[in-house]
Amino acid sequence: MGTMGLALPWRARISSTLRERGTRVEPSEHLAGGPSPAARDALSEDAALAAGCRSGDLHAYERLYRMHGARMKNLARNVLGNPTDAEDAVQEAFLKVQRGIASFRGQSSFVTWTYRILINTCYDARRSRQRKKEVANDDSEETPRLEPRAPGAHPTLRMALERALEKLTRHQRDVFLLYEVEGFRHAEIAGMLEMTETASKNTLFQAKKNLRMMLEPPRSSAAESR
Amino acid sequence: MNVTCSERERIFEDGTRAEWAALETHAASCPFCTEEIRGWKSLSVAAKELREYSDSPSFWPRIERAFAEEAARNAQRAERKSWFWFLPSFSAAWQTALAGALVLVLTISGGWIYFHRPIQKIDNDKSLLKSSALNEVEAAESSYERAIDKLAAEAKPQLENPATPLLANYHEKLLVLDSAIAELRAQAGLNPSNAQLRYQLLAMYQEKQRALEEVLEAKP
Repeated sequence: MGTMGLALPWRARISSTLRERGTRVEPSEHLAGGPSPAARDALSEDAALAAGCRSGDLHAYERLYRMHGARMKNLARNVLGNPTDAEDAVQEAFLKVQRGIASFRGQSSFVTWTYRILINTCYDARRSRQRKKEVANDDSEETPRLEPRAPGAHPTLRMALERALEKLTRHQRDVFLLYEVEGFRHAEIAGMLEMTETASKNTLFQAKKNLRMMLEPPRSSAAESR
Repeated sequence: MNVTCSERERIFEDGTRAEWAALETHAASCPFCTEEIRGWKSLSVAAKELREYSDSPSFWPRIERAFAEEAARNAQRAERKSWFWFLPSFSAAWQTALAGALVLVLTISGGWIYFHRPIQKIDNDKSLLKSSALNEVEAAESSYERAIDKLAAEAKPQLENPATPLLANYHEKLLVLDSAIAELRAQAGLNPSNAQLRYQLLAMYQEKQRALEEVLEAKP
């Protein structure tokens, strides 16, 4: 597997604040008792949101948008590669939520269900885009158009990461985006992607290993042997 | 808690907070693990580069509009109801079942008509002759024609030199009959199975036979 040929060496890309950032460890794994008051609040908020949407209350949908719209759009943008398609996908996901709310049985959280719909909508859009490309006899490989983002970010690193993500499997990319970018817990990701929590952890591990192989320069054989 | 280099990947995958702390302690005296931990964590930092939560003021109004359009479409659909709008008590499932039953009845009826129509046509259409009957008719016609030709040969001298105006009239009548017979034969040749033509031809031959018999009877 080749590296992405970054302009900056790997060491330079990693900021000096790395050591200060802790590694996320699932809080639920270390709970001795039941859910915390914050978790209970989140559950009741989720149930209220679901009930509001089920009753057709537009304010409930607006609350869902205020709480998750930006994150949904960011996730869609990372899957689809551009903000226009991302907005279309989020809008379509909202409509699908409204159409399907009667069939929501509460087996997962409402928000988890909403993100599952969004992810499926994004991949439907990707497939549709791929079909259109094929019809247009464009033999280029399906990769989302990576549009420039807001200034201030590290463009080279971001671009390299976006391209490397495209080389991952769908599940690896989804788990990485949901966990590392959007900050969801493995339990939530498991619900969204219909996999077990253990599978989510393992998929993230494989995704990060693959990303390191693509993004890091080759190590010396002495170091590899350890 | 003490950990070793061999446990590093397992901790990366599913380590507890305590295991991570132990790995960090171990890394303080292990440069390779230090580097590995740094590389691993750097991906989490790099991932934040993909986080861009920008608020677009026009986006929620756009979704609201989409909701309104969807609601309008649903209202239109409700107005149109469905195929059996005049039977409001039927559910969609019943309507589908009824439509299916109707299609089945039409299919069976159509099939029945299709399979019975050609047989009826052949049996009922007497104007068309089957090939065996046609052969019989043609054979009878030929022998009948030959017999009449013999009769015509006998009457020929009288007709060529008619002694009376009556014989001259018979001569003209026979010429007309021969012309009509020739025309009918031509039509029967084009449409040999048409029994009506055959009946007309037979009538012409019979008329010619009668005329020839009267000519021979009028022999002085």
